[in-house]
Amino acid sequence: MSVFYTWLRELITQLAISGTVPRILFYEFVINALFCAIIIGPLLGCVGTMIVAKRMAFFSQAVGNAALTGVAIGVLIGESYTAPYLSMFTFCIVFGILLNYTKSRTRMSTDALIGVFLSISLAIGASLVLFVSARVNTHILESVMFGSILTVNDLDMNVLLAVAAITLLVGLPLYNRMLLASLNASLAQVRGIQVQLIEYVFIVLVTIITVACVKIIGAVLVEALLLIPAAAARNLSRGLGSFVYNTMIISTLSCFGGILIPMQYDIPVPSGGAIVLVAAAFFIITTIIRNVIPGFKEAKM
Amino acid sequence: MQGPAIHVENLSLSLGASLILKNMSFSIAAGALHCFAGPNGGGKTSTARCLLGQMPHTGKIRFDNSSPQITAYVPQLIEMERTLPLTIDNFLTLITQDKPAFMSTKKTAKLLIDSALEITGLTSKRKYMIGSLSGGERQRLLFAQALIPTPTFLVLDEPMTSLDEGGSQLFESLIMQMHASGTTVLWINHDLEQVQRLAQTVTIIDKIVVAHGPVNSTLTPAMQRGVFTKHIEEAA
Repeated sequence: MSVFYTWLRELITQLAISGTVPRILFYEFVINALFCAIIIGPLLGCVGTMIVAKRMAFFSQAVGNAALTGVAIGVLIGESYTAPYLSMFTFCIVFGILLNYTKSRTRMSTDALIGVFLSISLAIGASLVLFVSARVNTHILESVMFGSILTVNDLDMNVLLAVAAITLLVGLPLYNRMLLASLNASLAQVRGIQVQLIEYVFIVLVTIITVACVKIIGAVLVEALLLIPAAAARNLSRGLGSFVYNTMIISTLSCFGGILIPMQYDIPVPSGGAIVLVAAAFFIITTIIRNVIPGFKEAKM
Repeated sequence: MQGPAIHVENLSLSLGASLILKNMSFSIAAGALHCFAGPNGGGKTSTARCLLGQMPHTGKIRFDNSSPQITAYVPQLIEMERTLPLTIDNFLTLITQDKPAFMSTKKTAKLLIDSALEITGLTSKRKYMIGSLSGGERQRLLFAQALIPTPTFLVLDEPMTSLDEGGSQLFESLIMQMHASGTTVLWINHDLEQVQRLAQTVTIIDKIVVAHGPVNSTLTPAMQRGVFTKHIEEAA
């Protein structure tokens, strides 16, 4: 893949020099960031619609917190502290599966259970990170929570591409079954859908997506990009098709806007924060449209 | 097409500390229109859900099929998703094709959906969001999904609760048509007049099998008084 990335970067740099594309694309880190944005935008947008349907809004936050522990374990067992993917993936998948296992064995609602796991994972992660930070002298907590899309390297992009491919290959064919299982498990079961199994598949998909995005945009931002575009798109959508596509478009535009606007206009805002702010702007605008244009009004109660 | 015959032996169900069903044994003939009747909380829905494989029951349940079994379920009126912008069309696409429902609907799927909507009288409402449907419309939608694909075993859990007069007549004739085409119909029904008029066999359930057999000899006036007034007397 590195050959491809190099070719792509050289091509875009040449185009930037010749003035075909904006000058800002002269920089390698900008091209890398936009490459990630073009994958992360649609990916998180599409998965976000399912997250909303399943009422698992804070699950990815919990996984993001668990990633902290993953990083700490990685440092302890000697993985590179800048990319401890093995520990992060392993620990977070175990964490996700454990959460789902517990969910099917308690009568608690999903959001409450996720809240419990979220707190536990943050506590363990923060404790372990403090313990290991003496060894590596780095701001692990900050980098996991907020990431840095402007410092991604080829390995990060490879991991992201692989996760996106898995999601496409596994998630798309199962999309309808996942959605029906969350709408009504009983109806889904009668139709031969293995509701429990499909829940685990979804949990693992969201987990690996979150982990792949943590280094790039950070746990907090993954959460934001899973929810805000879907919320914004919901305001304007009158069917599933427009909802999913609007979400993907808003999510991708937010990523692009968040990366390019601060650079273009020399605004001293980090890209992560800017991405969320652009998404939030979409949400505010669509909420206003929904309340002003009569065609979008629905019952309030 | 011929629906399955169903044989139930010593079916028991406990949830937590409470015994819901106790040692139930009965059979339903292939292609029968069979009703479950009994007082509220007697375990009719639980029994049906045992047959659907959704309960941690003990005992044996056997289906004898001459052709591959296709099961359809019309649950009790459920609250529909309000968060998602999901239309009737989206919902039916979801159950009809593997291609994600947010993409286009396949031609073959569309034919099935059109027909199910036509039959249940929902064609003009296909773009409505399911969260905004009235009780009767939701019941029509739940019935429409049960028609795709055509089932050999149809389980109905009080499908007429919120229907208007026209809807009730429509559902009744649809159920009779499916029964005539060989589908085994299991119908949880409170309306004893309707049970008497339409069903061939009936099981009266109140934790145990109180009575089981052909409607005329089972649903006698004495039985009706005995089972259905018991709870009123207990309350008094």
